[in-house]
Amino acid sequence: MKPAPTLSSAFLHPAGQSLPQPLLALRKQRAAALLGMPLPTRKTENWKYSARHLKLADDMAISLPAEGKTGTSLAVPGYKVVFLNGVMLPEASEFPDLDGITITSFSDLDEQEARELAGRLDHTLTPQSVQLAQLNSARFEDGLLIRLQPDAVLDQPLYIIHEVNADASGSAFPRIFVDAGRHSRLTLVEEFISSGSNGQAQVLVNAVTEFCLDEGAHLTSIRLDMEGDSIQHIGATGVRQQRNSRFESHCVGFGGALRRHDLQVRLEGEGAECKLNGVVVAQGAQHYDNHTNIEHVVGHCNSEETYRNIAADQAHVVFNGRIHIHPDAQKSNAEMNNKNLLLSNGAEIDTKPELEIYADDVKCAHGATIGQLDKTSVFYLVSRGIGRREAHVLLTMAFINELVAQIPVPAVRETAQTRLNQFFEATFQEA
Amino acid sequence: MLSIKNLHASVEDKEILKGINLEIKAGEVHAIMGPNGSGKSTLSQVLAGNEAFEVTEGEVTLNGQNLLELETEERAREGIFLAFQYPVEIPGVSNLQFLRTAVNAMRKHRGEEDMNAAEFMKLAREVCKQVDLDPSFLKRGVNEGFSGGEKKRNEIMQALLLQPKLAILDETDSGLDIDALKVVADGVNALRSPDRAILMVTHYQRLLNHIVPDYVHVLAGGRIIKSGGRELALELEEKGYGWLGIKDEDAADAPAN
Repeated sequence: MKPAPTLSSAFLHPAGQSLPQPLLALRKQRAAALLGMPLPTRKTENWKYSARHLKLADDMAISLPAEGKTGTSLAVPGYKVVFLNGVMLPEASEFPDLDGITITSFSDLDEQEARELAGRLDHTLTPQSVQLAQLNSARFEDGLLIRLQPDAVLDQPLYIIHEVNADASGSAFPRIFVDAGRHSRLTLVEEFISSGSNGQAQVLVNAVTEFCLDEGAHLTSIRLDMEGDSIQHIGATGVRQQRNSRFESHCVGFGGALRRHDLQVRLEGEGAECKLNGVVVAQGAQHYDNHTNIEHVVGHCNSEETYRNIAADQAHVVFNGRIHIHPDAQKSNAEMNNKNLLLSNGAEIDTKPELEIYADDVKCAHGATIGQLDKTSVFYLVSRGIGRREAHVLLTMAFINELVAQIPVPAVRETAQTRLNQFFEATFQEA
Repeated sequence: MLSIKNLHASVEDKEILKGINLEIKAGEVHAIMGPNGSGKSTLSQVLAGNEAFEVTEGEVTLNGQNLLELETEERAREGIFLAFQYPVEIPGVSNLQFLRTAVNAMRKHRGEEDMNAAEFMKLAREVCKQVDLDPSFLKRGVNEGFSGGEKKRNEIMQALLLQPKLAILDETDSGLDIDALKVVADGVNALRSPDRAILMVTHYQRLLNHIVPDYVHVLAGGRIIKSGGRELALELEEKGYGWLGIKDEDAADAPAN
């Protein structure tokens, strides 16, 4: 048996040196830990269905330059931070000027702040399950620290546009850390987009976002994955929640060469609750893999998770939803629901609810289904004169409408809707 | 308007319709009665174009056009409307979106412009009122959580909205209490017009007290075994299907009204 391929050392070359010393040291430490890391294969449990889509060629290892023009991002109203190829562009950004909120580049932190941050990065994520995503900590060129003082409330959503230029091969490592103080409020919208593509370039986006919610903080995260087909995206979002805090996540993902997103939430204070909604659509030969993990560390917390996946053509969608209820987490209330829609015989969806429950007084419900468009419903619609294609679009939209409608920012909901419509137009093209 | 000649149809290789002959002219109301399993619903579904049924023999024309060659949606656009016995619930598609899409599909077929949202809303509210449905039903998912009676009224409301040439009502009376039956009957009567035909499929004669048919046909074993005027329905009620030499256990349980 030949040895499993390991992560090429080309991916561990340090780049930008603008970071303060403690963060450089952290990066070096992470790089050392990843050296010789075996790449996941189909025998790697949590990469079982995605390993074959992972193709890390050496020429993807180099960081893409943070220069060039940004595209659509300028149209976004209100507060926004624009990342190009993983690095923040201050001139394209519009920061809120409000008491109680500071948005700082990692490279602008002083030694003391940087040391504090270095001690907190990666602590929202379980290292062994997101090893590949943690390449980010060995490679980020810079990052964004968003701090909310106690009781700070951002009056409008804060957009983060992650744009990557897909003209040349390379990689981007955007990094965000959100530190939400007691009873603060924030809605963060992350849009992942790409511009340019010559079809040959191989691009890796490795984005990590972390949220720490102090007591009573309310945070809403909306994430739209809309990068071009050729991009390989390996991302992770980590969340830690203290007492009575609330975290709401709305993810809408469009498939691509490789899409892998890990969402991990730790409920660490009583009364904390999270609501995780996710929609994935994939067509052609696209792929999308969502792994979620909710840790009920203490009792009296609620989690509610609803994911809907749609796969057309030869697309492949994976959902793995883990709920882990720790021994002392009595009176936990966890609900997970995952429904899947296959639009063609060649499409594949793999779903796995994974429940580990070590406390005896808990409520934990889960359900997963995989189905096709209902023939009776199609007949009902076409019997009213509606074209077959339009009937298919209506019914497919119906499958996810409920989740799209819950996206709390109208402009983002519209963006998602527009992109979804484009997806359905392409999927149900007139033969 | 509708001409059915020697129609045979099967589902999963089992022949259900064994040679139906029926002529319906514009302005007429026909009732098809018969015991359970006689093929009444199959006939409705075949006319509307449900692919689960295979037509093995015979012909059906609508104003001279071969209906069997048309797709379901084309039949609808040519004026066939089926009020379902069991209307389908479609959560996630609002009734309003559904109806507007249907109306505009019909308009497009006739070469007309789409109806704008405001115009449509006005029209939809009017037809809702006609079948005593609160306009709030327009905002709900198609038939989602509707009671049996509300579903049937929603079907009739669609017929009023789409103004078909031939409305086929499949057991529209089943599951209705007497008040709802009256509302539905009023809706159907509003559909009656000299250039429209109505085909009612029903097990019981009680609907025919409210919507008086011009002709009554008895369907049994996949064939029409007797035709007559409205008095045939009354005779059936009095004597039961057994009178015609057919067994029907359900008919014996028919409510006396």
